[in-house]
Amino acid sequence: MSNRKIIIEWALGVYEDLHFTAARETLSQNPNLKAVGFLPVYAPREVIVASSMLPVGIYGGGDQIEIIRGDAYYQSYICHLPRSVIELAQSDRLDFLSAVLFPSTCDVIRNLSGMWQVMYPDLYVRYLDLPHVRDPEVGGKFWERELRTLIDKLGEVSGHRASDDDLRAAIHLYNEVRWVIRELYRARSAEPWRLPTEELYLLLRAGEVVAPELFLDKARAYLEAIHEDSPPMKDRSRVIVVGTFCEQPPLGLIKTIERAGCWIVDDDLLIGNRMLTRDVQTQGDPVANLAEAFILHSEKTSVLYEPDPDGKKTLMAQRVRAAKADGIIFAAPSFCDPALLDRPMLRSGAEEAGIPCIAFKYAENTGQFQQFREQAGTFSDSIKLWGGS
Amino acid sequence: MSVTAGIDVGSGAVKAVIMTSQGDEHRIIAKCVSRIRRREIVAVVNEVFSTAVDQAGVEAIDYVATTGEGEDIDFATGHFYGMTTHARGGLFLEPESTAVLDVGALHSRAVLMNRQGKVLTYKMTSQCASGSGQFLENIARYLGVSQAEIGELSLQADDPEGVSSICAVLAETDVINMVSRGISTPNILRGIHDSMGGRFARLLRSIGAVGVVLMTGGLASDVGLVAATQEAINKHDKFGRPLEIKGHPDSIFAGAIGAAIWGDFRHMKLDLGGAAWTKNSTQRSSSAA
Repeated sequence: MSNRKIIIEWALGVYEDLHFTAARETLSQNPNLKAVGFLPVYAPREVIVASSMLPVGIYGGGDQIEIIRGDAYYQSYICHLPRSVIELAQSDRLDFLSAVLFPSTCDVIRNLSGMWQVMYPDLYVRYLDLPHVRDPEVGGKFWERELRTLIDKLGEVSGHRASDDDLRAAIHLYNEVRWVIRELYRARSAEPWRLPTEELYLLLRAGEVVAPELFLDKARAYLEAIHEDSPPMKDRSRVIVVGTFCEQPPLGLIKTIERAGCWIVDDDLLIGNRMLTRDVQTQGDPVANLAEAFILHSEKTSVLYEPDPDGKKTLMAQRVRAAKADGIIFAAPSFCDPALLDRPMLRSGAEEAGIPCIAFKYAENTGQFQQFREQAGTFSDSIKLWGGS
Repeated sequence: MSVTAGIDVGSGAVKAVIMTSQGDEHRIIAKCVSRIRRREIVAVVNEVFSTAVDQAGVEAIDYVATTGEGEDIDFATGHFYGMTTHARGGLFLEPESTAVLDVGALHSRAVLMNRQGKVLTYKMTSQCASGSGQFLENIARYLGVSQAEIGELSLQADDPEGVSSICAVLAETDVINMVSRGISTPNILRGIHDSMGGRFARLLRSIGAVGVVLMTGGLASDVGLVAATQEAINKHDKFGRPLEIKGHPDSIFAGAIGAAIWGDFRHMKLDLGGAAWTKNSTQRSSSAA
């Protein structure tokens, strides 16, 4: 078996394992290590690692878990992610976590943090109020204070309060992680047939629950291996997939989009792992550096306030240009307020710029892909035969 | 002049054509069809493609296009959706056509297109199999007739027996009852054709088809079905729109033909350089992307 296949088999195993065996094994090999879960979209993983803790991304149960208890907590008009997160927790699959962080992605995740405090009073639970004012003196100072509080609290849980040197080392480590993810995205955009999104996604999903050092090894090895037995080049349309930043689509949907004739050359999948678009400074005050990086160099996404009135209108055209894409697929989870409220603004901006678009909704446990296949297939045909591609 | 291949992987059969193109002039130089019959689809595709290539006597192909369920054929250059290819293939086979009625093994769909072959709208039969080739094949098996005989037998009917047009299961029960009641095979077959024709007439009306409609797909060679569909249209068309259903000897290849023609379009547009397929190597060099 080629290196490429070995890595992807490993990643698939981690992705499908809803008992988080990889994370549990890391903890059992390091008795002083504790694990911190975090919900999408963004959590400062540097702080977790610097506190001698393992960051574990909680992205629900996807299409692999039957929701028995989770539905009792949410009305039918709420997205699927919190149901399966509760199902994971109530079935003791998350019992290895010592703390859970709930970023201010939307009100559903904020409410989930409250539920967690009620259900698991012995666990450290924190609602991360991400700053929306992009002024270093206002939002920056606020976020810096939040980070310092988080450092103190995680230090109490782990028994190791992160020093500045610990934080600098963690920042350096995550600069490496972000670099390799950017390289993977760059390589996919350049030669998408060598780096199918299905594989890239599996690798990045695995990276959400294993130690960052292990992810770095696997990701670097994969980058070297993408020229081994890569699938043949195909004539397909280049698309970006927008709206998939929180509740993740099932793997089958990602495969369906590409099989139907679209190369995904940019996306919002797991966007928290590359939220900071530049390296964070390792010199000086590491907490101030982390805060400044978030305020000044964050990805533009629906979960953060956009101060520029034209920002939403021009964003899609910028992304399409950067990715040399032919069109946009707006794929949002059903009932996802951030994605669905942004969609009309993003789409009208894209269409004013003459960019072909389609839109659909999914849930993490969607099992039928024929309608997506049909939409993506005809979209690809229309771009290839009647568009500019 | 370019040489392109179109491979249509259906749920019942694999069809392949090799075509030459010079500007807007397209010519079929080889064609091959084979039923899948519980075989590995990849093996059937390889067999059909090899036969067509041998028949064409070509050493290299500029663009190999798949359609239908052929997304995963690894030596293909590109894939086109079934509606897109049937529309273009229909226009090639019958230049006067304004719509195609694709009747396949598992479903049927009506596609309205413009003069360039661009799909304007479409409608598919619902999930029930009663408008599909598989249903007709099952009935033929109950009646002990071959598929090739169905059309001619249906035309001999003198007193067609009505069957359920809603549900394949009910229709099959109807047929078993008819056999036990001694209804003749031609009358049973025509009853089924009438039932399917009624569904197709409604489908075509729903997309606003006017003028010539080419029937494509595996059942297009069934003369009884073509006649019954025409009759249903004449009988049911309350709007008085003239609609003529036509068949073509190569209708079963419409998807593959459309794929090959669109493959030529993409080959010219992309200017990929080099052949997509040669007898020695089945992949275009990646650098040509």
